Amino acid sequence: MRKLFLIVCSNIRKAKGQTAAIVVLILFAAMLLNLWLMLSMDYKANFDRYHEKLNAEHVTVTVDDHDGSIKEDLSEKLEKDKDVAEYCLDSCMHMTGTFPYNDGDLSSWFVFMKKQQAIHRSVGKAEIVEDSDDTSGVYLPMLYKTDEIQAGSPIEISIGSHTVTYTVCGFFNSVMTGSHNCGLMELILTEDKYDELEALGYAPNATLCSIRLWDKSENVTYEAALKSVVSERFPNVVMISNSYNMVLQARYISQSICSAIMSVMALLVLLIALIVIASNIINYIQVNMKNLGALKAVGYTSRQLICSLLLQFLGVTLLAALLGAGLSYCFLPSVNTMMISQTGIPYAIHFLPLPLVLSLFILGGTVALSVWLAARRIKKIEPIVALRFGLQTHNFTCNHVPLDQTKAPLNAALALKTTFSGVKHNITVCITMLILSLVIVFCGVMTANMIVDTTPFINLIVGETADSCVSVKPNMEEEFLRKMNDDGRVEKVYLQTSINVTHSGGAELLATLCDDFSRVNNQSIVYKGRFPKYDNEIAIGARYAKEKGLTVGEEIEITANGKTENYLISGFTQITNYLGRDCLLTRSGYERLGTLSDANYYINLTQGTDIDAFHEEVEEEFSGSINATVNIRSTVESSASIYVSLMTMIVLVILGLSVVIIAFVLYLLVRTMLNNKKRDYGILKSLGFTTRQLILQTSLSFMPAIIISAAVGLTIGCISINKLLSLFFCTLGILKCTFEVPVGFITAAGICLVLLAFAIACLLSLKIKRITPKALLSGE
Amino acid sequence: MREVLLKTEKLSKSFSNGGTMQHVLKNIDLQLYQGDFTVIMGASGAGKSTLLYALSGMDTPTLGAITFGEQTISELNPDGLAVFRRDHCGFVFQQIYLIDTMSVMDNVLCAGLLVNKNKNALIDRAKELFRAVDISEETQKKFPTQISGGEAQRVGIVRALINSPEILFADEPTGALNSQTGLDVLDTLTKFNEQGQSVVMVTHDMRSARRGNRILYLKDGVMLGECNLGKYVHGDAKRHEKLSAFLKDRGW
Repeated sequence: MRKLFLIVCSNIRKAKGQTAAIVVLILFAAMLLNLWLMLSMDYKANFDRYHEKLNAEHVTVTVDDHDGSIKEDLSEKLEKDKDVAEYCLDSCMHMTGTFPYNDGDLSSWFVFMKKQQAIHRSVGKAEIVEDSDDTSGVYLPMLYKTDEIQAGSPIEISIGSHTVTYTVCGFFNSVMTGSHNCGLMELILTEDKYDELEALGYAPNATLCSIRLWDKSENVTYEAALKSVVSERFPNVVMISNSYNMVLQARYISQSICSAIMSVMALLVLLIALIVIASNIINYIQVNMKNLGALKAVGYTSRQLICSLLLQFLGVTLLAALLGAGLSYCFLPSVNTMMISQTGIPYAIHFLPLPLVLSLFILGGTVALSVWLAARRIKKIEPIVALRFGLQTHNFTCNHVPLDQTKAPLNAALALKTTFSGVKHNITVCITMLILSLVIVFCGVMTANMIVDTTPFINLIVGETADSCVSVKPNMEEEFLRKMNDDGRVEKVYLQTSINVTHSGGAELLATLCDDFSRVNNQSIVYKGRFPKYDNEIAIGARYAKEKGLTVGEEIEITANGKTENYLISGFTQITNYLGRDCLLTRSGYERLGTLSDANYYINLTQGTDIDAFHEEVEEEFSGSINATVNIRSTVESSASIYVSLMTMIVLVILGLSVVIIAFVLYLLVRTMLNNKKRDYGILKSLGFTTRQLILQTSLSFMPAIIISAAVGLTIGCISINKLLSLFFCTLGILKCTFEVPVGFITAAGICLVLLAFAIACLLSLKIKRITPKALLSGE
Repeated sequence: MREVLLKTEKLSKSFSNGGTMQHVLKNIDLQLYQGDFTVIMGASGAGKSTLLYALSGMDTPTLGAITFGEQTISELNPDGLAVFRRDHCGFVFQQIYLIDTMSVMDNVLCAGLLVNKNKNALIDRAKELFRAVDISEETQKKFPTQISGGEAQRVGIVRALINSPEILFADEPTGALNSQTGLDVLDTLTKFNEQGQSVVMVTHDMRSARRGNRILYLKDGVMLGECNLGKYVHGDAKRHEKLSAFLKDRGW
């Protein structure tokens, strides 16, 4: 073993630079791998920890309840229900509303509760995390604490079509109702403000029902069943709900995206590191053929020599992996801050042994495999042959660029000769550039569709968006539509109402109704088949269809208001809002089951129209007939800002990482090339080649592989990025991405990458300066 | 009066060896003439190779000046020296130093194309030189490891002469070759010298040194004198005696 250590130490001493570059690559891979494992293994588990800590519910339902009769009825039902472990019923008020957040408006279904009631609930209690001296006002979920929204500051909240102003008394944490992503969001009022709001009558009285189940996995089914029972007993009652699965997915979208990107980046960096290690070993064997022959001649076995390489690279890998894992803890606070701005659930950073062990195991295992595969050829080295012939690097079968025939300039021709004589280097360069090209395409697509223009991403995540949404009472619909069509500011107005229906023998589905789906802004919601056109057609969520084995053309039974009808599946949607349990129906299609109690209209306004002023006018004109108005553009912008900042950060980190990777890979290759070709450079210098010419030749020799692989990578990337992203987002229910591919931007970025690679290669080749013809002559 | 090609004034070269300065060349004043076959002789460690590197612009002197025509090459930077070498010098190495990844023809053309942009004329010149050193067209397509040592050294001479240099420097050109191959190489050098090519050769071999018309003797970094042997005539016994006597006087 001591002998092997001597060989390892000697190898590392001789290749300090290469070892350092490999350490950096492994370090990055380990950092990303550990971050990914921590995010995927513990971050969501944190939700469960908080869920348990606050004894949170698995199903939450708020139901209109003017006289307490529903509360009584529910209590009776839940008491007898053997699936229910625990439940809590409390009086509340509920209504849609908005408040200013992140330079836009936040829109949600608000559930108003009294402070003492909210914090003392046996199930689904709120935890006050910041309190102030103010005794009259509102407590907001901690997610909404920003520079503008602080304890003590006033906040204007729109409730339906009315506006109230409260003082922010503090912030609280609630697992199931602590974010607008939860479907319903709790706002805690002090006793006086609650009574005041109740007296104003802006929000109807309701019952908040929080249920813990014995079997948590049944939460979605139970939610649908409970709502079905209530709507059967109390038809047309307003009922809003959420479930554990839905909240978990909704609050952790950014975590899922971030985690998926990190996993891909970690694996790509690891792949590059493995290729570099393998290439390094192959080169080591070539250059040290005589030494290896000599070692074999004095009695070292192939196994011992391979073991020495394994020891060397495993040692370096494990050291770098430990450093990388340590580094991941330095980055975790920043990642955590970004994540909390979406999850709204505090995460206490702590040491996680399992991700570390897994990271070490994955890195150690893959590096060991790579080393073994590359070092196997040591077995074939015959001591005598190795000692006699030594280094054999060139294939003498073909002169690819004969100087007497080529039309290329001398430096380019000599660079091409070097290119053809270094196939292994080219393979490493090609794979690295292919990977980085794909990364560039990803960054380009994300920049164009999530950072510069957020609409494509929002369309994908949210589904349909417009400028404004106005909820109109059905008796005023005709008058409202006539006015809207006459209004010059209105470009388009169409019905877009959501209502719950049930798939017979299946689950509850969130149905979106529209008069004419050809008028909706987002035509890519239905990714397979087509939108429903007739009253007997339905488009259903692809994720749900896959779950139930449903196909386009199949007939299914839909139930609502105690009535069941058959519908033909015309297409699949990829809306993710309701865990993929959604469907599209024409208005006439829904009216086969019942009538609409409210009609929400989406409106596109002309450029420059003040949406809030428009809403004020509409509310004034249709006073008493408008349930609520929502500035969708502002709401979407405020929600999108979280994704924009997250994606900006990710794109910048990925681009920075790409630069570092290409720099280190080229460093390894240039350094190896300079070592291998030191003699040739000396000869060329003695013949009169200047340092500048040799630097140019060296850098140019990498260019064919870099340019070709970048071009191929970018082309493949542009063609397949939407398919790759569909794989990426399929866990969110998005099965067909239709992102715009900014070809011009990507081409420019590709050219920049090539130029950057050339500049880096030139910089790294500066070492040629130190090679002197005299050193060659004196045998240095 | 003979034309001076290259001259040195107080040329000195010192190396730091383990902290102590080693003075390898000491105040050498020397003139090299057009058309001469100059041989620099001396015992091992006398500084003859160091002198050759300095004269050919492969190395820079510590002190003193080297002038080529009007140009003081000792003042040039590394790239300036590279241009000087490519424009005015040819170099034949003891270890031959052909580039293994290039064919024989490419080894020659890669030096030629640096200076001569007329590729056709250059190829013609290369073929003429290959014919002169008896390298067949088939061999020209081979790679250095596929030809013999003698052939390789003759290719080295062709490469050194491809740009028609004013001076051809040769550092022990027969040192790595067997007796007969060495003679062939010397014959080649002699033939080119007879055609007017100035040659400066470093050797410690009497048989090789006899080919020169001017012998310089270097001892411990100091020029101890020179011997003019006149034009080389094959089998001239007096020439050998004269050289032996010159060397014997200087402690050879």
